[in-house]
Amino acid sequence: MIENTVMLLIAVPVLFSLLFVALPKSLYKYLAWAFFIIGVALSVSLVLDGTGVVEIGEPNFAMLENIVLILEVLVILFILAVSAKYKNWPTLGLGIISAAIFAYTFTSLPHAEGASFNIDQFSQIMILIVNIVGTAIILFATGYMDEYEEHRHLNRQKTFYFTMSFFLAAMNGLVMADTLGWLFLFWELTTLCSFVLISYNMDEEGINNGFRALALNLVGGITLSIGIILLATYDISTLSGIGTYAGTDATAMAAVALPVALLCIGGFAKSAQMPFQSWLLGAMVAPTPVSALLHSSTMVNAGVFLVVKLVPAFAGTSLGTAIAVYGSFTFVMCSALALSQRNAKRVLAYSTIANLGLIIASAGIGTPLAVAAAIMLILFHAISKALLFLCTGEIEHTIGSRDIEDMSGLIKKAPLLTSLAALGMVSMLLPPFGVLLTKWVSMEAASSNPIVIVFLILGSALTTVYYAKWMGTILSSSMDKNAVHHKKPETYFPLSFLGLAIIVTSIFVFSIYNYFIKPQVEILLKAAPEITGQAGQFTSEIGAFAYAAIFIVLALAIVIYFATKNMFTPRKVNYYMCGENNMETDGLMFRNGTCSYDKSSVSNIYLQNTFGESKLTVLGYAISIILIVIALAGGVL
Amino acid sequence: MNMNDILLAVLVIFVAPVIGCLYAGIDRKITARLQGRVGPPLLQPYYDVRKLLSKDNLVVNPSQNFYVVVYVAFLILSLLMLVLKADILMIIFVYTVSSIALIVGGMSTGSPYARIGSSREIMAILAYEPILILYALAIYLLTGTFKLSALVNASTPLLMYTPLIFIAMIVVLNIKLKKSPFDYSTSHHGHQELVKGMTTEYSGPGMAGIEIGHFYEYVFLTGLIFVFWAVNPLIGVLISAAAFFLVTLIDNITARVYWQWMLKLSWTLLLAISIVNIAFLYFSGVKIV
Repeated sequence: MIENTVMLLIAVPVLFSLLFVALPKSLYKYLAWAFFIIGVALSVSLVLDGTGVVEIGEPNFAMLENIVLILEVLVILFILAVSAKYKNWPTLGLGIISAAIFAYTFTSLPHAEGASFNIDQFSQIMILIVNIVGTAIILFATGYMDEYEEHRHLNRQKTFYFTMSFFLAAMNGLVMADTLGWLFLFWELTTLCSFVLISYNMDEEGINNGFRALALNLVGGITLSIGIILLATYDISTLSGIGTYAGTDATAMAAVALPVALLCIGGFAKSAQMPFQSWLLGAMVAPTPVSALLHSSTMVNAGVFLVVKLVPAFAGTSLGTAIAVYGSFTFVMCSALALSQRNAKRVLAYSTIANLGLIIASAGIGTPLAVAAAIMLILFHAISKALLFLCTGEIEHTIGSRDIEDMSGLIKKAPLLTSLAALGMVSMLLPPFGVLLTKWVSMEAASSNPIVIVFLILGSALTTVYYAKWMGTILSSSMDKNAVHHKKPETYFPLSFLGLAIIVTSIFVFSIYNYFIKPQVEILLKAAPEITGQAGQFTSEIGAFAYAAIFIVLALAIVIYFATKNMFTPRKVNYYMCGENNMETDGLMFRNGTCSYDKSSVSNIYLQNTFGESKLTVLGYAISIILIVIALAGGVL
Repeated sequence: MNMNDILLAVLVIFVAPVIGCLYAGIDRKITARLQGRVGPPLLQPYYDVRKLLSKDNLVVNPSQNFYVVVYVAFLILSLLMLVLKADILMIIFVYTVSSIALIVGGMSTGSPYARIGSSREIMAILAYEPILILYALAIYLLTGTFKLSALVNASTPLLMYTPLIFIAMIVVLNIKLKKSPFDYSTSHHGHQELVKGMTTEYSGPGMAGIEIGHFYEYVFLTGLIFVFWAVNPLIGVLISAAAFFLVTLIDNITARVYWQWMLKLSWTLLLAISIVNIAFLYFSGVKIV
């Protein structure tokens, strides 16, 4: 039954978070496997239960509403206490503002008589992402955290697993809740969990970055709560209610434009869009599973989830256009910033922000085709990005560095890991994989807006460049002696599972579209995109994407390679060094002018002077703030 | 897909490398004449490939030839899609796969020369990819669809409304064919000091694969120019052949530049004129179908 599944999806992760606290560290591995299996089972059963609205009426409602209120008070008290303890005055100030808003809401607004969860196809997709990708990340963590803590002399795994599991519970609640008050609680809970996880190391850097995340997300939380209060004046108390209200006519859309814009800004902060991007970059100090969780399946997805859900309230309006321009601007800016980074985790962070920008741009365009692209991109991006983050973490444990330049020759040291990482990168930028397919759809959808499409074109070229050079580096062979690499099933199972998921979802993209995306777009916009999927081809009104043909050619290429591999018996040689090789020792060094030897070292091009953070960040802040002001102004006028 | 399409596809797979080989032969002949030499026979590129296939297969990295297979396979696919008038945006993405495969193939050898060549070629992507997609966008704006099939019934040739994009595309052709002044990642002539850039470690059958890939690439790239006058195939062929000879001429009368210069040229002048052209199409709302 759908009611039970909804409740279980929130209760089971909470139960697991308590189990992680109660049981000893030696059992974590089994606990994580159990969590993964149950997570998969629960999310699949939610999909099988179908869609529907779950009303929470009396007598349960009174009890649950009290729990919600108590939790909200606890969240605010925790924020106030922790920011006072670390003397972080900006956060304390924001906490006090949040407390004031909460007090106002509690005393002045009429109390709700019931609450509801709305399970639509989009919620189902999100639940699948959170509970399959999310639990896979926790499983990976059990093979990762021991070594991580050993290096840093930490012993905080109970806090870690408790918060990770609780995070999933909050996220499940967030994507299912329809009542805005409850959604807001889950929203603040994810903020809080991310604060705890980012400051996991408890050193100065970790705590500072944790507070930055907390403060910026509190700003988002405040705009969100103001938006909710304003919506209450229109008698709207549910997320789906906004669409129902605005979907009727243009005047209604204009009326709710300001609160909707405020809700969207909350979403931008959560999704770390410019100018809020610094919290996600700061989140890099946390252990890799935390980054993977924040970037792919949970935290940042909450923001774009909200923006996409609000599509009916701004589709086709000037607010929608402003959002589209804003999202595409973030896309191109962060792609350029990613190009200049050597630190693999920072590259991934900027890539995440850029892709979320693309999702927001697609939502802003607001045509059925574009909204379909936005939802599909959330799905494909989550899988690919989770894989890439986990691979980066494992690479760091293998070679002891997250600098891209240090990763050359990785294919020799850890072939499986490198292949999986390369698969993740290929899936981010090349056909026939899902991310590129959705990028293609969003480009075709954006072609009616000149500014957005030019931004998308530039950003897309930049994306190709920064992934191509990283992929080339990890796949390059080196003659260095190999490091020993230990394989653990807890780490390699999630990696291989995600890699397989990329391939399977890309092959079955049209079934996914038909089952989840099409009905969802119909719910949001009352019109489905004119997409057909015959003969392995994704055909829209303005183009066609023959993904099946590409898969076939890719498979053919692999077959031809293996068939002809031994036809021309390969003979292995050292590489050519213009006759200047050091023949005495290893044949890999150049003879220099003084007749001694130098090792050749080549690095990639990063264009630091053009696209460096010092050059672009201020510009990005300025333009993104202007765009947000324009969006707000468009909402008021 | 009907019977005609299949026949056409088979024809393309076998005829394209012959045309490409002739292009390469003519290229060498013109270059030689411009330099006051007699030059090799017209079929020299074919003899080269035949000889390369009979050579030993020396590899640095056992998997390096895999990338060559991907390179050739996706070039053939993008050429096929072009001939079958598929979605132009999609064709460009498929073509990117083959470009990336060659780059990664170069890097996979680990040779310092190849890695420098590859990282310069990555910069070339940054220079030409936006122009290619703007070219696709121009086609969309003029026909209302990204599918090339609409262009066949166009009332006026594409070139009439996209002269600035055409100029940018000639430069893209120059970059993609790795001709001077943009021949810094690898080149067919001994212009550059980086040994053989990206393809340094490729020899024998692997190199033959790359050469065959180049033949397809010649046809594919001139095919993109052909699209500018697809309404009359004869004029289309003449324009694409003229573009090819122009690029060969430029190859012989210019010196190689820094890759930074190419990026500046592309991200300022070429992007600017292309965007001006696109803006004109937006605001005039002109359609050719």
